[in-house]
Amino acid sequence: MPTLSELRRCFEGAVPSVIATCAPDGTPNVAYLSQVHYVDDAHVALTFQFFNTTRKNILANPRAVTQVIDPATAAHWRLQLEYLRTETEGPLFEKMKAKLAGIASHSGMSKVFRLLGSDVYRVLAIEPVFGGEAAPDAPRQHLLPSLRACLAGLTGCSDLAGLFDACLQGLEQHCDIRHAMLLMHDAAQGRLYTVATRGYAESGVGSEIRIGEGIIGVAARERTPIRIGYAAQEYLYSRAVRDGFERSAGADGLETVIPFPGLAASGSQLAVPLWYGERLLGALYVESPQEMRFGYEDEDALVVLAGQLAMYIELLSHTAEHHEEAAVTRVPPAVQGPPAGIKHFTADHSVFIDNDYLIKGVAGAIFWKLVRDYVEAGRNEFTNRELRLDPTLKLPDVSDNLEARLILLQRRLAERCSVVNIEKTGRGRFRLNVARPLLLTEVPGR
Amino acid sequence: MTTELDPPLLDEARADFITHHVSILAGSSSAERIPSVARAYGCRVAPDRRSITLFLSLTQSATVLRDLRAGGAVAAVFSRPTTHETLQLKGAGAQIAPLADGDRALMRAYGRSFRDDIGAIGFKDPFGVNIMSGTEDDAVAVTFTPTAAFVQTPGPSAGEPLRPQP
Repeated sequence: MPTLSELRRCFEGAVPSVIATCAPDGTPNVAYLSQVHYVDDAHVALTFQFFNTTRKNILANPRAVTQVIDPATAAHWRLQLEYLRTETEGPLFEKMKAKLAGIASHSGMSKVFRLLGSDVYRVLAIEPVFGGEAAPDAPRQHLLPSLRACLAGLTGCSDLAGLFDACLQGLEQHCDIRHAMLLMHDAAQGRLYTVATRGYAESGVGSEIRIGEGIIGVAARERTPIRIGYAAQEYLYSRAVRDGFERSAGADGLETVIPFPGLAASGSQLAVPLWYGERLLGALYVESPQEMRFGYEDEDALVVLAGQLAMYIELLSHTAEHHEEAAVTRVPPAVQGPPAGIKHFTADHSVFIDNDYLIKGVAGAIFWKLVRDYVEAGRNEFTNRELRLDPTLKLPDVSDNLEARLILLQRRLAERCSVVNIEKTGRGRFRLNVARPLLLTEVPGR
Repeated sequence: MTTELDPPLLDEARADFITHHVSILAGSSSAERIPSVARAYGCRVAPDRRSITLFLSLTQSATVLRDLRAGGAVAAVFSRPTTHETLQLKGAGAQIAPLADGDRALMRAYGRSFRDDIGAIGFKDPFGVNIMSGTEDDAVAVTFTPTAAFVQTPGPSAGEPLRPQP
């Protein structure tokens, strides 16, 4: 007899399942189910969408039987079930809600399908009905060797920037996942900010997602992977971000939003939170224009990858702190040409270079300190340590990842600015390279 | 109570709806109140539309048939994949009998129509062939009189009982 995990393909929602229940007087009831969700090898959860006869029956008599169909072979399996409880919030509920949104959108039922709860059942028995002896199609790809190769790519990294890039490159090279991004957690702001992306026309580094917003925000909030096999309007960022971040432009009309780089027509999405102990570090997000691209196995693989990645992030962040070298004192070379105007708004630390938006928040404050020191004190060599200790920066928390902020700043400068760039010169050390004179303007408010 | 004078629960349109293009599942329950379910491979409606006959596989439906033989009530749900239109019929006193002349032809025609419908939403053969496979040899006919009908098309009116239309 197969284990429940071997039947997970039947639980993708591609083919509707049915559930039979029975009232205390013995009257049977058969109903369609949008989703049978694999919880673990002894439990499934079913979508509770309507107050119907199934609902009444299982509350009075917990025995049920569901029939599921393998979408590849049409093999039928029956699961004998016993109803245990209903969850109306939390990781399981949010996973099923997101998946249901995809299924609903795929079947034109977006206005009708709403998840009221996740009904958790114990699986008492698995029975083959027919077709189970047919060999299922070979998996698209053997994921274990791919995962191993991805993990091997992480071990050689000596800094965070390299780690981020190795992770996304590994996903493309070994897992054929061509659209991916990494976001880090800003606990003080309740947001995730993008530090590395791959497979998009615009890198979108620096774009932000609120915790709880869209598939990535919900995955981060609930600390659970979320996977959607069909595009679901309510989880697409093209809309979510537009609705969420309202007008970010101030009265001066300067726009301070970096567009989120996600695919406009995303067919499959998978968001996996990165956490270390109790602490949320960020999120890994992959997507594909193809529907049903990511299965349970891909989710397994990415959760393992995310776990390792989180440990490396933590490790490399601390290594950087412990091995920081002292700054070298050197007078920056003189530069000529028309000055570049750098404007800093004190309220949100947004920075504009010649009126082009660069960055805001912690990375904006760091940049302002660097260019001020460059202009006023004539220095261009810096250390992570001095930034961490600088009281004017008011870094949000000791756990905040300064290195990730610097990567963000470095990448934004590389993409958007021809006048200033950041060059790493050693562990915990970097140099500010300036190509033209800088004219600094501090603007209160905004 | 239904009597011979009441109009049948199934009007002509519904009697037609349940015989082709729909996925059919039949359920029952045991004396211990354990439900059972199995796929049906077609449906025949009596000329007076007062009883219907479902075609079930002996081996795939062993538990449902056992429950029906023991006097369990019956529920059957009919759902068209392309439209989600869904109807559930309930009744009691199901009779199990060998297939009648012409039933195999009905099953084959039904199987083709169902494959067409799921094909239209992307489930092509061999899925379509497989899902309708393995019933030719061991099918039986299960006849019952529907005494209640419910609209189960997802939406606000899901679950509403149908009344016979005079």
